[in-house]
Amino acid sequence: MLVLAAGGANAQSSADQPTRGGRLTVSVSAEPPMLDPTSSTSAEISRLLYDNVLQGLVKLGPDGKIEPSLASRYQVSADGKTYTFTLRPGVKFHDGSAFGTDDVVAALKRAMDPKSGHTHPEYYADMASVAASGPNTVVIKLARPNADFLFNLARADSVIMPAGKTDAMKSAPIGTGPFKFVSWQRGSAITLERNPAYYNKALPYLDAVTFRFISDPNAQLAALRSGDIDVIGYGLAPENALSLKQGGDFNVIVGNSTNKVTVSMNNGRAPFNDIRVRKAVQYAVDKNAILQGVMLGNGTVIGTHRTPVESCYYDLAGLYKPNPRLSRSLLQQAGYTAQKPLKITLTLPSQYDYAVRTGQAVAAQLNKVGIQTEIKLVDFSTWLKQVFQGGDYDMSVIGHAEPNDIGIYANKSYYFHYDSPQFRQQFDSYLRSTNRSAACLTMRALQKRLADDAVNVWVQELPYMAAMKNRVVGWWTDQPLPSLNVTQVYLRK
Amino acid sequence: MLNYVLQRLLGAALTLLIAAALVFGILLTIPGDPAQTVLGLDAAPEALARLRHQLGLDQPPLTRFAEWLSGALHGDLRQSIRYDAPVGELLGQRLGVSLPLIGLTLLFSSLLALWLGGAAARAAARPTGRGRDTLITTLAVLVSALPSFWVGLMLMLAFAVWLRWLPSGGFPGWQDPGRALLALTLPVLTLTLTRVAVLARMVRASLLDALGQDYVRTARAKGVPERRVLYRHALRNALIPIVTVLGVQFAELLTASVIVEVVFSLPGFGTLVLTAIEARDYPMVQGIVLVLSALVILANLLVDLSYAALDPRVSYG
Repeated sequence: MLVLAAGGANAQSSADQPTRGGRLTVSVSAEPPMLDPTSSTSAEISRLLYDNVLQGLVKLGPDGKIEPSLASRYQVSADGKTYTFTLRPGVKFHDGSAFGTDDVVAALKRAMDPKSGHTHPEYYADMASVAASGPNTVVIKLARPNADFLFNLARADSVIMPAGKTDAMKSAPIGTGPFKFVSWQRGSAITLERNPAYYNKALPYLDAVTFRFISDPNAQLAALRSGDIDVIGYGLAPENALSLKQGGDFNVIVGNSTNKVTVSMNNGRAPFNDIRVRKAVQYAVDKNAILQGVMLGNGTVIGTHRTPVESCYYDLAGLYKPNPRLSRSLLQQAGYTAQKPLKITLTLPSQYDYAVRTGQAVAAQLNKVGIQTEIKLVDFSTWLKQVFQGGDYDMSVIGHAEPNDIGIYANKSYYFHYDSPQFRQQFDSYLRSTNRSAACLTMRALQKRLADDAVNVWVQELPYMAAMKNRVVGWWTDQPLPSLNVTQVYLRK
Repeated sequence: MLNYVLQRLLGAALTLLIAAALVFGILLTIPGDPAQTVLGLDAAPEALARLRHQLGLDQPPLTRFAEWLSGALHGDLRQSIRYDAPVGELLGQRLGVSLPLIGLTLLFSSLLALWLGGAAARAAARPTGRGRDTLITTLAVLVSALPSFWVGLMLMLAFAVWLRWLPSGGFPGWQDPGRALLALTLPVLTLTLTRVAVLARMVRASLLDALGQDYVRTARAKGVPERRVLYRHALRNALIPIVTVLGVQFAELLTASVIVEVVFSLPGFGTLVLTAIEARDYPMVQGIVLVLSALVILANLLVDLSYAALDPRVSYG
């Protein structure tokens, strides 16, 4: 019995032995605006380059846990203010130059300088200093503890590129990863090739990866079926997932993501500065019906600005069960009747299909309780200018894909215009906590407060959906941050 | 003749200037911020301000237009905001895909239109041929009424997914002309199928018109075979309106190819127009308008000049 079991396990592992070689072609729906994740917040950059080409001191693993990367070890002092990183020795950049403490210091100094053009200097605002304290050691001192700091160092915003070459990175990134950037044919494709000098000699398994930009979901499907591509990298349409599941030639992935599909309300002005109206909207929306209708049941209903793949998640999906009667009575309390109905505009970014479809469903549900909803479709640039920058809107729908981004609610000028001193104070106590479990409790309280204040309607976690040929092995199932990580992907013979 | 061409070119330069100024004005009125589009949703305000300054977006509109114009006069179309690469270079690459696409489409759709339109006209000219004429005309109208993205997808299913004869999309570049032509086959077929009807109906109408003329009766009376009457005698005169339509088709195809380019993920001119407008990539849009206008003006000039070649009675003093 025991022998048999051992034999079985052996057979299993030899069948699953990664094989080296081969090229992989992956379709992505959108082209990145540039290739430097420290100079643009576009998720497309991180998707293609995170850990494949560009690496930071630490990284997020497929399960969302923080792992060592360019730093083989790190230590956090008890007061949470000193971080000591031991760099991996002998690491080389793709241009052949050696990676060292000066590159780390330069990258992080640039990151913390708001004038440098780094897009998220606020992640590093608590840093007091960064300096080398030995040939392979970098010490970061914080002015005050920051519970998110290590997570921020694992973001694509913290990748280390060779010192003094920042501007060239926009179209030709140089990193330390298992793949090196080879070419970007604008409008067409980005190609990466195996980095023969990678410090982990076992990786990568593939010789090359090409990311092809195919925006039309049906064209993606045809390309996969015809064998022109091996993988639909993300954003697989749910109806196409159904058809690919049949036949058994393809593997369909439905995983977790950090994308919170948010029906935002302008908390800063009437009618949504009235919590009764916001709650009326909560009770009017049937999230499960939307999930079924828009994503054919794929995804997870959420109740606050966090998804199950993010740490310290609090499941509040059941807080506001659909209740049209309660919704109507709340509206009445707020002074809206059949004679004097509430009229609002729902501004939708036409570029994002899920947002438009979700918005249409929400509008239909709101109309049922007497909220007259007019849909306004705008292109994304207009949306950015009017809704996001200008805050000139009643209601909108967009997916907030950024991981661990609950801090946006502590910014009262953010486009929700949520102004809660209690939330800000609580968020600060979360950030300053040095004890992980205490921090987690506060994080849960933050989620509860957002839900209780009915700031927005968080409809669902937009599932990460991809499809690939059966022989593609090692693809990440979940997306704790946007990353089509191919470092350990191989092709089964 | 030379005088005429020079006059036309002068007019063209003026048209280009007006088009560029108009588009610049329109771009100013539509909301949008190219810096935000490039930097993404949650970029720090300082980073946005820095990029806006680098792009010169913090300068007054007139200064920006003047700078763009002086650059354009020196052949420098500036840097694309969206792609961080020279506009001229990007336009060249994209036209390298779109012009062959449009050229091949025009070639095949005119050949097909001559054949179909000719057959319909011949049938219509005979008392017994009405049914055949109606069949051809109706079929042509039906096919042209199909949306091109649908036709494209169906062709893709048939030739790429089932038969696996042709690639489903993408463009490998002209380094390998064979593969490049293969990549263009389905898009050209799609555009040809969905556009041939307009031309075929034009051919039919022109030919029918010409067939009613005296010189055709004379030719027939002399015993010239019908096919020769049609294609040698009638067609030459019928070609003028057809060439005019070809000129219009060229201009239309430059923008209409965008749907086919999206379906087949071709890095062509049409998709570039889309991304440029979506991203509020001002220099790119300006460059596109300039080149687009120039191409249309050039096509019209060629059409006008071809009148003289087709019909000796037309001359440009």
